[in-house]
Amino acid sequence: MQRSSFGAIIPLLLLLASGEASAHALLDHAEPRVGNKVVTAPHEVTLWFTQKLEPAFSTITVTDPAGQRADTGKTRVNGNQMSVSLRSGASGTYHVRWHVLSVDTHTTEGNFSFQVGQ
Amino acid sequence: MDGFGADIDGPLIAVRAVHFAATAITAGTLVFRTVVTNPASPAEPAVAQSFRTQTQRVAWIGLATAMISGVIWLLLQASSMSGLPFDEAMTSRVLSTVLSQTQFGQVSEIRMAMAVILAACLAFRRTPLTDWLALALALGLTAAIAWTGHAGSTLGELGNLHLAADVLHLSAAAGWIGGLVSLVVLLAAARRHPATAWAQLARDATRRFSILGIASVATLLLTGIVNAWILVGSFHALTATGYGRLLMFKVAAFAAMVAFAAVNRFWLTPELDSAGGLPGDVLHRLTRNSTIEIVLGLLIFAIVGMLGTLHPAIHLVPG
Repeated sequence: MQRSSFGAIIPLLLLLASGEASAHALLDHAEPRVGNKVVTAPHEVTLWFTQKLEPAFSTITVTDPAGQRADTGKTRVNGNQMSVSLRSGASGTYHVRWHVLSVDTHTTEGNFSFQVGQ
Repeated sequence: MDGFGADIDGPLIAVRAVHFAATAITAGTLVFRTVVTNPASPAEPAVAQSFRTQTQRVAWIGLATAMISGVIWLLLQASSMSGLPFDEAMTSRVLSTVLSQTQFGQVSEIRMAMAVILAACLAFRRTPLTDWLALALALGLTAAIAWTGHAGSTLGELGNLHLAADVLHLSAAAGWIGGLVSLVVLLAAARRHPATAWAQLARDATRRFSILGIASVATLLLTGIVNAWILVGSFHALTATGYGRLLMFKVAAFAAMVAFAAVNRFWLTPELDSAGGLPGDVLHRLTRNSTIEIVLGLLIFAIVGMLGTLHPAIHLVPG
């Protein structure tokens, strides 16, 4: 194959690879559930993903209604499951931000919120 | 680069493609000389030794390229995993975390150890046992790539099936595409030296390699279907995602390779049997077709280099 043909292949590959925006649907489900309302503040937040995770590069941070850190800072990872303990907190909207590295070396991140109160 | 919707990491894709190709050529060369030519060659010692020297050179170049590209892949991956720019990620803290605490890092360490022992086997050949050990290490070096990719993170029982399919897929690809390089080297030598011993070796090796080729194609097809079922999941995802479209392009390149291989196997190889010496035009066409197959194989490695950096289609399209 000629050199020019090789040159033409790269844009072709890039064109074929285009299409998906940021549809990284790696979060399978969470507890408390995404967007849900719970009566009392949970002791921990747990997230389940579609793939196995690397503990060294996967974290969850949770902020309380006042915008302060609500998690204890130590994220636990087991297979495709990741959780973090929460300090007891007030009613209102909590924001969860997650950043994970799956075992196949893909990095993804996202966030969601849940509400505490009556 | 982020101008195409997907995050395209040029250096990472390039180094992965080079690493896969170099690893496959190393393994395929050792498969060829241990399984294809050695039993096929009652050839005179000078011819056997000359071919061995040539394949030894290919194996060394392949292994050195695989080792260098493997280290660069690890460094680029460390930067990507840590989320830090390349120069900031090159600290002992980041690198030791990647090496000791991630599956990719641990598999990379094991593969590097296998590469070093393989180099020792190539350098200090004492017995036929060393050849078999080298072959086993080269196939291990290839198969272990499965644990660095999508197969390594698939959950549960399906994960074991995915790993098994990927191990076979990688080994078959290396045996076929890497073996083709040795075949072209042998056919070229047979054209340069029309002596009977070279002709005999080339004829026997071509016939034996065609059996290996058929086994490889069958394995690639079967394991490729398993992998696609796990990673793509639906015909819709094949067309709706970049991953799926790239995979179809890869399958098209594979189909073209099979077409050229079929011409070699069913038209040209039988013609080698007819005459005492080797017909020059048949040798020429065999060499040309095999070279085209190698180019298509390298294109497939480039596609695989990119596929592994993309999110699998099954995660992008709701079932």
